[in-house]
Order: sequence, then structure tokens, then C-alpha cells
Amino acid sequence: MSLFNTLIPSFTRGTETASAPTQTVRPAYDVKQTPEAYHVTAYLPGVAKDGLEVTAEGTEIRIAGRRAWQQPEGWTPLYRETAGTAYELTLTHDNAIDADKISAELTDGVLRVTLPKAEAVKPRKIAVN
Amino acid sequence: MRIVRYSYPSYRNLSPVTGAFNRAPWSGLENEIDRLFQSVVTDASPRFPVDLYEDKANAYVRAELPGINRADIGVELAEGELTITAARKTPATEGQAEETFNYRRVLTVPEDVQADQISAAYENGVLTVTLPKRAETQPKKITVAVK
Repeated sequence: MSLFNTLIPSFTRGTETASAPTQTVRPAYDVKQTPEAYHVTAYLPGVAKDGLEVTAEGTEIRIAGRRAWQQPEGWTPLYRETAGTAYELTLTHDNAIDADKISAELTDGVLRVTLPKAEAVKPRKIAVN
Repeated sequence: MRIVRYSYPSYRNLSPVTGAFNRAPWSGLENEIDRLFQSVVTDASPRFPVDLYEDKANAYVRAELPGINRADIGVELAEGELTITAARKTPATEGQAEETFNYRRVLTVPEDVQADQISAAYENGVLTVTLPKRAETQPKKITVAVK
């Protein structure tokens, strides 16, 4: 078997990567645009402030949130519609935003991220002589 | 009119590792057709996801309702049916008036619930309703002395 694996290494690699990733779900979200900024609203029910991570790197905005609530001891689930999995959302942009001024706010399971547009791409009026 | 609804992320948009490979090739199309018919049939009151739990003393209902003011959530119990109502208000912005979107869901609860002892809490966008069971239906532990 080891000879086989050395000949075709992709077989072993396939099983390693299959077990590694943890399951995440893409939250419901919407993006709105104003002349000043982009507003991302992500619905993350069950996520508290300390379980939330918003990272901006290069042209990617990554939102990762895990649910704060754990099923207490002695509770028996009778019927479930939610999955209890962590949320993950990665959005790409064209780098025309001001990364230093990104702000985020989490209230009652709704995350609002404001991505201000870079000065260079904001609409400006040109005076005609 | 613009409808702002919160749809629960389904298995269709799970991460590609589980989503793309472990399902039948036509399931995506089937889901879309199901969704289309569902949207026609039940468009009036979209459902929000609900979980039911139970322990020895209480039954619990957990409903995911992100971003709703506590004043706009209603919990009612009448004739063995628990009704949860919620209104999502989108604040007025330039060129758009305030919009309200109503959610409503009716659940049948067991008969042994103490209707006057129900409590509800809203935290992180999840509503938890606690329904205490009547004392006589709770499991009792009787210690019998052996002579």
C-alpha cells in the first residue's frame, strides 16, 4: 500500500484534507451602497461579541462567528431546524475601500459592517471654467 | 414594494466540501423548484427557524429572530397553541420610508404546560421561551425505605 501511495500521492492527500475542514454555514447577508460607503448586513443569530471575528486582509473581508449558546446538560432536543454550526462569510472587493476606517457593530445577532470608500473613488464634482 | 426577509441558510449554501459532492446532481434544481412553490404557497408569513428542547422541569422553544426590537416580539399562548410574532423594522433611509416585515409562527405545545408560568428571553438574536411543566407530570423520585 505504501508503494501505491508513493506512486500516486494524491490518494493520501485526498483523505487528509477531507477530514480537516470544520463545517461552516454562509449566513444570510446583504450589501448596500451609498456614495460614501458600502454597508454589509449579516444575520448571525446566536453569535455574541466575543465569538465574532471580522478580518480585512488584502481584497477580502472575512466574517467568522461561532454561536455563544451551548445545549445545556439535561436538555433533550425534540425537534430542530437550526444546525448550530459556525458562520463564515468571505467577501471580496476591488480594494477601493479605506481599510483603516472599517467599522463593525453587532446588535441582537445582526452585524453591520461599514466599508468606507477610498477617497480616490468617491464621486466628486468638477468645476467647469 | 421591497420585501426584506431573513431566510435561514440552508444546505444549499453549506461549504462546498459537504455541499457539492455528497448530493444528487439534480438536488439543486429540485430545491429551487421546491423553493419556488413554497414562496407561492406560504409567501404571506415566512417562517423563522425554531428548535424545541425539553428537560425534566421545562419545555423550551428557541427561535432565531436576529435584529428585532424586544418591543416588537410577541409571545402568546391560547388553547394549547403558542404564537410567536415579530416585526422587523427597516429604518427609513434617503428616498425610502420605514418598512416593516412581519413574522408569525404557531406551534402546538403539550397540554401539561403551566400557562401562567411561561417566560421568554431574547439574547443575541435568539428568543428562548421557557414553558414549565405541571408538577404532577414531572418525574418523581420516591425513596422507599426497606425494612
